[in-house]
This record gives sequence, C-alpha cells and structure tokens, in this order.
Amino acid sequence: MTKTREVAVVGVGIHPWGKFPDKTFVDLGVEATKNALKDANMEWKDIQSVVAGMYVWGATDGFNAGQALAARFGETGIPITNIFNMCATATSTFRSAYHVVASGEQDICLAIGLDVSPPGFYGTMGKPSDKDTDWLRWRMMGATNPGYWAMECRKRMEKYGTTEHHLAKAKVICSKHGSQNPDALYKKVFTEEEVLNSAMVCDPLRLFMICATRDGAAAAILCSGDKAKKYNAKPVTIAGVGLGSSLYGDPTLRLGMLSCPTEGTAPLLSESYKSSRMAYEQAGLGPEDIDFVEVPDNSSWHYLQYIETMGFCGPGEADHLLDEDVFAIGGKFPVNPSGGIASFGEAIAATGLLEVHEIVHQLRGEAGVRQVEGAKVGMGQTYGQLGNSASVILKV
Amino acid sequence: MAQKKQYPAVEGLFTCPPEEPRLIGGRCKSCGTYFFPKFAAFHKLGCEQGPVEEVLLSRRGELVSYTVQYYQPPRPFVSPDPFVPYGIGLVALPEGIQVPGMLTGIKIEDVKTHIKVELVVEKLFQDEEGNEALTWKWRPV
Repeated sequence: MTKTREVAVVGVGIHPWGKFPDKTFVDLGVEATKNALKDANMEWKDIQSVVAGMYVWGATDGFNAGQALAARFGETGIPITNIFNMCATATSTFRSAYHVVASGEQDICLAIGLDVSPPGFYGTMGKPSDKDTDWLRWRMMGATNPGYWAMECRKRMEKYGTTEHHLAKAKVICSKHGSQNPDALYKKVFTEEEVLNSAMVCDPLRLFMICATRDGAAAAILCSGDKAKKYNAKPVTIAGVGLGSSLYGDPTLRLGMLSCPTEGTAPLLSESYKSSRMAYEQAGLGPEDIDFVEVPDNSSWHYLQYIETMGFCGPGEADHLLDEDVFAIGGKFPVNPSGGIASFGEAIAATGLLEVHEIVHQLRGEAGVRQVEGAKVGMGQTYGQLGNSASVILKV
Repeated sequence: MAQKKQYPAVEGLFTCPPEEPRLIGGRCKSCGTYFFPKFAAFHKLGCEQGPVEEVLLSRRGELVSYTVQYYQPPRPFVSPDPFVPYGIGLVALPEGIQVPGMLTGIKIEDVKTHIKVELVVEKLFQDEEGNEALTWKWRPV
C-alpha cells in the first residue's frame, strides 16, 4: 500500500450494552458519540465526515444511520457513508474512516456503530427467497447460527482433541476479565462447572459457550496525526486496518451456506486469515509483535479458532495455551481483556468499535485492574457471515 | 377422506417423488467445482465460467459432523408443537463437497461421526390443508 499520512484515534465512547426498549438505535448512537466527542475535547461541528454502520434490523431509517445521527446533533452537510459488512460492520466503518483521513480528504472523521438486536436468538435477516441459501437453511432444516458453529466445533474437537473443558475454560477466562471491566454488561465470574451445567443449545455448544445478543453503540473519532495532540494528550496511532473476504477452497461451512469443500485448499475461516494478514502487512508487524487481542468470541469455538487463524499460535495449539493461562490478563498474551462478547453480548453493527474502545483504553494505560502491563500494540478483529472479516492494529 | 398430498417445501433442491431421492447440485463444466444448491455457484479463479450443469449428487456419504438443535429455531422454520430436539448432520459426498441436512432414523443420543448415511426426503411440516411439505434429510444406512 502507498504510504499515506498518519492517523490517530483521539476519542472513543460507548453507550452501555444491554436491552433498552425505551430507546431507539439513534438514542444509543447519540450517547456513544457524545462520549467520544467529550473524550476528544471536540464538539459536533468539528466532525468533518461520518462513516456509520447500517442498522439493518430496523426500517429504512437504519440504512441511513449516519444521517439519523447527524439530525440529532444539528446537520452540517458533511459527507456521510453508511456501510454494512455483517458482524464485521463496525470494524469496517473504522477502516473506511481511516481512509477518509489517511487520504487527506478530511482531517477528522467519526466511525460509529449502533445496534438494537431483535429479541432472542437471531433468525434470518432477509426477506423470504428460495434463491437465498441463508433463508433456505432456516426454512428447510432450522439450522441456526449456533448449529453451524457447533458443526465446525465438533470437527475441531475430532481433529485436535479440543474438549468441552476447553470450551468452558474460554468462557471462564473471558468472564474473569469482564468482571473487572466497569463497562461490561455481565460481570459474573463463571466456573467451569457452571458452564458445563448450562443448557445444551447446539451440541456440543452450551448456553454459556455462546454469546448473547444485545443492544449497544460505540464510536471512535479519527484525526490526522499532525493535529491529534490538539484534541487528546494521548492519541493512539492506527498501525493497520484489514478487510478480508473468503478464499476459494475454504473448507469452513460458512454461516448461511449449504455446501463446502471437503478438502480445504485454503485456511479455515480464510476471510479472517486474509483480514489479519492485510493488517499485519500495513502495520509492518507480525502476530509476535501484538501485545493483546480482542477476538470475536461469538462462541468458545470462535475464541480458540481465531487465536490460531490470526497466527498467534499454530493450528490446534490454542487449547493447551488456554490451559496454561497464556490468554489471561497477566499471561503472556492476553485475549479479550475487555471480557469479550461473552461479557457484553453481541450488537452486530457496534461490536468492532467496542473492541477499539478497549484497545484505546489499554494503550493509554487507562484500563485499571485489567490493564495489560506495558501494552504498546493491540489488535481487534470482527467476523461476519458469508465471508467478511475486518481487523485493526493500534499502537502507541 | 382425500389422500394428503406431498410436495417439496421448496422446488428445485431435490428430486421428488421421495423414492431414491437425490439432491440437485451444480457443477461448473470449466473448472469442475461442485456446489449445492444449483444456483449457488462457485468458480475457481481464472475459470471461464462456462455453463453450470445440473448434477444429481450421490445419495450416500459419510457423516463428518453434526449438532443437536435443542431450541426451537425461529421462522421461517416451522416447528412441530411441542418442539422436539433434532439432529443436523454434515455429510461428505464423493463429489468432494459437504452438505448439511436434518438427521432422521436415528436417536439423537446414538449419532456418531463417520457413519454412512443416505439421502431421504421426508416431512418437514404439515400445512394448513393437511398436506405435507417435504425436505431432504440424512438417514443412517
């Protein structure tokens, strides 16, 4: 990639995660944005561009989420883009906001993700269509998202000897981290026994091995490096942003598809592989240079698999590293110091910026009792259905 | 009483009537890639993307993974009332692809990977007129 100018994060803010029946998705976004503006010592009039995640569960209003947000603050006619990349949406807004500033088009850009989840487990997003494989998997066999993950998880268990103990321990570690995070929605520390006694949802995945779905919003304000210190004494530099799609021959049974190749000629979760390598290349760093990571732990299977796919250890090695507490805060390589999706619930269009929020606080040294000691480089990744993955590497 | 009718819940995914059914997949004539269903085409990089031929996929394969669906899936799935947990299997076919489907003819506690299964077409749900909408399922041989 051609060298572009440096871009920093000068403000982050969230609306807490939860269920807020009396609020609209815009209300959540307004609070997250206000908090980010405060963090950056800015006012709305300073925002020169917005990249917003589309809120697809709502009506057309949600497709123009950025405009709906601007209406609340006072419209200033700035360029606003709304994008949707499934669960990778928020990290994708961050990437596009980075480009707005790195290209020199604008000096200050807001990335915002805001989401109100429908009640219960997710169903199909689309309208009925017998030419849509995602609709067909629900219609013809009731194959849920946890069901797809469970089938990949069982393959992993057979291939590497991953046990339900590992699946439980991933949740236990995330819950310990989450219990130390004042922003986390779920602060209970789980024991392995409690996880293993929770209801079976999609064998072998139990209820507490799968994330909940919740409402939330998160925002980040990006600023050109030369002006960053004007707004924040501790700007955090964007080292790399990656966006990946799948490779032909990926053996993953992708969520919403009805066939996959048996012999993989590409890595499992190849979109995650590609997205992380793109971010490494841009940053001029490798996985060994990353001090901690926020991975999308939609289930315990994802947690273990992404650690490997992103290159932090070899295939099948995450299990024993988990046993050795390498991924705990205080361990050699903390994973999900925020507590992860396990401690917040997923709000699909906002989660990636929640990760950015955590990474920025860690790199500023403001993470309190869950501080990763000496953290200089942090990474986050979100994955999306049907071949979407976005990564970010931040540094100080 | 008129005999109840049976019909595919969605046309074009498997052969019907239900005797010796086959999944209707696709194969690219240029790059040889197989996929299911027929409309969801994949091609290799550089493939001329010539005509996709309709192929009836092998009836038998190996169960390589499975899950048991313990909670009632939302619509558009139509659940029996009361809901009963059921298996979903992922089956490797000789064509080199894997296709998921509901499991039938086996108790959920008896399901194991690497058993041989074959395709059957069975009731998915009974509609308001009492007719049966059908889907594909995998049954141990």
